[in-house]
Amino acid sequence: MNKKYPRRLSGAALAAAAALALAACSSGSGSSSGGGSGTTTLKLVVADYGTGPGNASSKYWDGIVTAFQSAHPDIKVNVTSIAWTNFDQQVQTMIQNKQYPDITEGDYFSNYAQDGLLYSASDVLSNPGNLLPGFKNQGTFNGTQYGMPFTTSSRTLFYNKKLFTQAGISSAPQTWADVQADAAKIKALGDVGFGLPLGAEEAQAESLLWMLGAGGGYTTDGKYTINSPANLEAFTFLKGLVAAGDTEPNPGTVNRTDLWQQFAQGKVGMINGSPALIPIIQKAGVLQSSDWTSVPIAGKSGPLTVTLGVCDNVAAFKPNGHQAQIKEFLDFAYQDKYQLQFDKEYDLLPATTSATKALSSDPVFAPFLTALPNSVQYPSDTSWANIKTKIQQTIGTAVTGSPATELGQLQQIASASAS
Amino acid sequence: MPAALRRLNLVRLAPLLWLGPAIALIGVVVLWPVVVMVQSSFQQIGGEGFVAGYNGTKNYAHLFNEPDFVSVLLRTLVWVVVVVAVTVFISLGLAQLFHQQFPGRRVARWALIVPWAASVMMTALIFKWALDPNVGVINVILHHLGVVKQLGSNRADWLGNPTSALAWMMGVAIFVSLPFTTYAILSGLQGIPRDVYEAASIDGATSWKSYLGVTLPLLRPAILVATLINVINVFNSFPIIWEMTRGGPGYETATSTIYMVELKQGDVGQSASMSVINFLLVIVIVLVYLSTTRWKEQVDQ
Repeated sequence: MNKKYPRRLSGAALAAAAALALAACSSGSGSSSGGGSGTTTLKLVVADYGTGPGNASSKYWDGIVTAFQSAHPDIKVNVTSIAWTNFDQQVQTMIQNKQYPDITEGDYFSNYAQDGLLYSASDVLSNPGNLLPGFKNQGTFNGTQYGMPFTTSSRTLFYNKKLFTQAGISSAPQTWADVQADAAKIKALGDVGFGLPLGAEEAQAESLLWMLGAGGGYTTDGKYTINSPANLEAFTFLKGLVAAGDTEPNPGTVNRTDLWQQFAQGKVGMINGSPALIPIIQKAGVLQSSDWTSVPIAGKSGPLTVTLGVCDNVAAFKPNGHQAQIKEFLDFAYQDKYQLQFDKEYDLLPATTSATKALSSDPVFAPFLTALPNSVQYPSDTSWANIKTKIQQTIGTAVTGSPATELGQLQQIASASAS
Repeated sequence: MPAALRRLNLVRLAPLLWLGPAIALIGVVVLWPVVVMVQSSFQQIGGEGFVAGYNGTKNYAHLFNEPDFVSVLLRTLVWVVVVVAVTVFISLGLAQLFHQQFPGRRVARWALIVPWAASVMMTALIFKWALDPNVGVINVILHHLGVVKQLGSNRADWLGNPTSALAWMMGVAIFVSLPFTTYAILSGLQGIPRDVYEAASIDGATSWKSYLGVTLPLLRPAILVATLINVINVFNSFPIIWEMTRGGPGYETATSTIYMVELKQGDVGQSASMSVINFLLVIVIVLVYLSTTRWKEQVDQ
C-alpha cells in the first residue's frame, strides 16, 4: 500500500515567502472548466527553487509555457510559484478548499492518490517508462505510479576549507568523532562549527542523515522505528554537540535556508547540503570554489555509503478533468532540453533516463549521478505526511531536551497513525 | 376585519425588512461557521479535507492526550493576561499624555496610529529580522552596548529560546495593541466633563487623588470595552507568533491558536476540536471578565 513522497531540493528566500503566500491566496480559483471547445486554462502550481528574482522558478516555467502555447494556442497555462517553506501547506489549502490545481511540481503526497484525486503517470505521459526507475517506488500507490519525478538530488557534507586550514585541520571529516573535534576547533575561531538545521523547514532530512550514520532510519522493514536505539544514539550525539556549543545556537529553531546562506557567507565550518547549495555559495561571492568542497556524509564510524536521495514530483490532478491538455503539456515539459535547463539552472539532477544519459558526460554532474542509485528515501506510506509535519515541528527539541522522550513521542504518533 | 388583521400583521413584520439583512449576515458569517466547526470536530477529516465519517469524541480524546496540550493552554492564558494588562496599563499613561495640550499634539496623535495601521505580519517580520542573532539591528546595538557579548551566540538568539522568544513576542503584541487601546481610553478621557475636575479641586483633591477618584471611575466604560476587545484580539492573535517562531522550538512558544493551525496540517478534525475549545475559552474568559467588573461596579455603588 502506499507511497508518498516529497522532498525539497532547493532553498528559497524567506523574505519572498510572505509575499508569495498572499499572491497565491488571491489567485485562488482557476478559470475555465474542462471539456468543450475553445481555450482550456491549466493551473500549474510549482515550488520556487530560485534564490531571488533572477532565477525564480516562474521564469523557467514561463519559458516552457511560452514555447508550449505557440504550439498549442488552445491551451493556456497559468503558473503559480510558491516558496518551498509554504508549498505543502498552500497546496493542501487549495485542495481542502476544493480549488484544485491541474498540475503541481514540488512535494507529492500519496494521500492525494489514495483519495482518487490524481491521474496516474500513464494517464498523462506518453512515455512514463522514461522516468528514472530508482524513484518509481516513491511515487507509487497501490501498484500504480502517480508521483512523477521531475528533478532529483542527493546529499553530501559540505565543508569550508578556508576555515579548516585556519583551524589547523588537514583532512576531511569522516566520522562523528571528526565532526566533533573539527567543529570545536572552528568554534574556537568564532564561527559555527557544524550547521545543524533542525527547524521546521526540513528537520526530517537532517535528522535522517544522522540516523543513517548510526545505522538507523525512520522505518525498519516497513514499520516506523523512530525511537530505535540507533536513532537515539544519533540524537544523543547531536545533543552533546549542541551542548558543547559546536553548532549554531538552538538548532531546533533554525531553518536550512538561513543556515545555507550563512555557510555561503563563510560563517559555518560544516553543513550537510545538496547541489542546490552550490548556486547559493556562488551568488554570495564570499567563498571561491577552492574554499569549499563536498564529501560523503560523516557517519558514526565512517562516511556513509548511502545517502538521502530525494526527488521532487509532478502530480496531475483529476477534479478539473483536463487529462488531454495535461498530457500535452507534460509531454512537452519533460523534454530533455527542459530537464537539462532545470538542472543547470538550479544544480539539480535530472529525473528521466534520457536526460540522465545526456548529462552523464558532464564532469560536474557525473559523480552525483552515480550516487543516485545508492540513495535511501523517505517512508512512502500515507501516514508519512502527518508524521513528517510532527517531525518537522518537534524533532529539534530532542537535541536540547531528552532524545528518548521526544523520539518516543514521535514514535507513538507514528505507530498510532500508521495503524 | 381580515383586511385590518392583515395590515396589522404586515406592519408587525415590517421591522424584518430592516433587521433581515443583518440577521442573515450574522447567520451566514458567524453562526454557520460555528455550526460547521462543531460538526467538524466530531468528524474524521484528514489533511486533504475529506470527511471520512463520524469520529465520535476521538478527536477530543486525541487532543487531550497530546503531550503539549496543557502547556499550550497555560501559555495562552499567560500570553493573554500579560499582553492585555501591560497594554492597558501603558495606554492609560499614553492617553493621559495625549490628552494634554502641547505643541505638535496633532502630529503625535497621528504618529501613534502607525503601529496600528501597519500590517501586523510586517511588524512581526521586521522584529524577527531585527532580532537575527548575527546581523539583526537590535542585536548589533546590544552588542555595542555590551549586553550581547558575542553575535551569533545563544545570548543573541532571542527567538531560539522559548522564554526570551515569548517575552519579545509579547512586546510586539503590546506594541501593536497600544494604539487602539490608547485611542479608546483617550476618547473616554475627552468625554469627562471639566466641571467634575473643578468640583474635585474645590474639594481640595490633589491631581493624583482626582485621577484615582474621578478619572479612573469615569473611564471604566472605556477601559472595559478596550480590555474586552484586546482580550479577544490577543487570544486569537496569529501573525506575530506565526511569523516570529511558528510556535517553535517544538510547540514551546505556541498559543492555542497557533497550535490549532499546526494541527490542521495533519488532521483537520482534531484541529476543529481545538477550535471549539478555543471558542469556549474565549466565551468563558469574556463572561468571567464581564461578571467580575460588574460585580465591582455594584460594590462601588
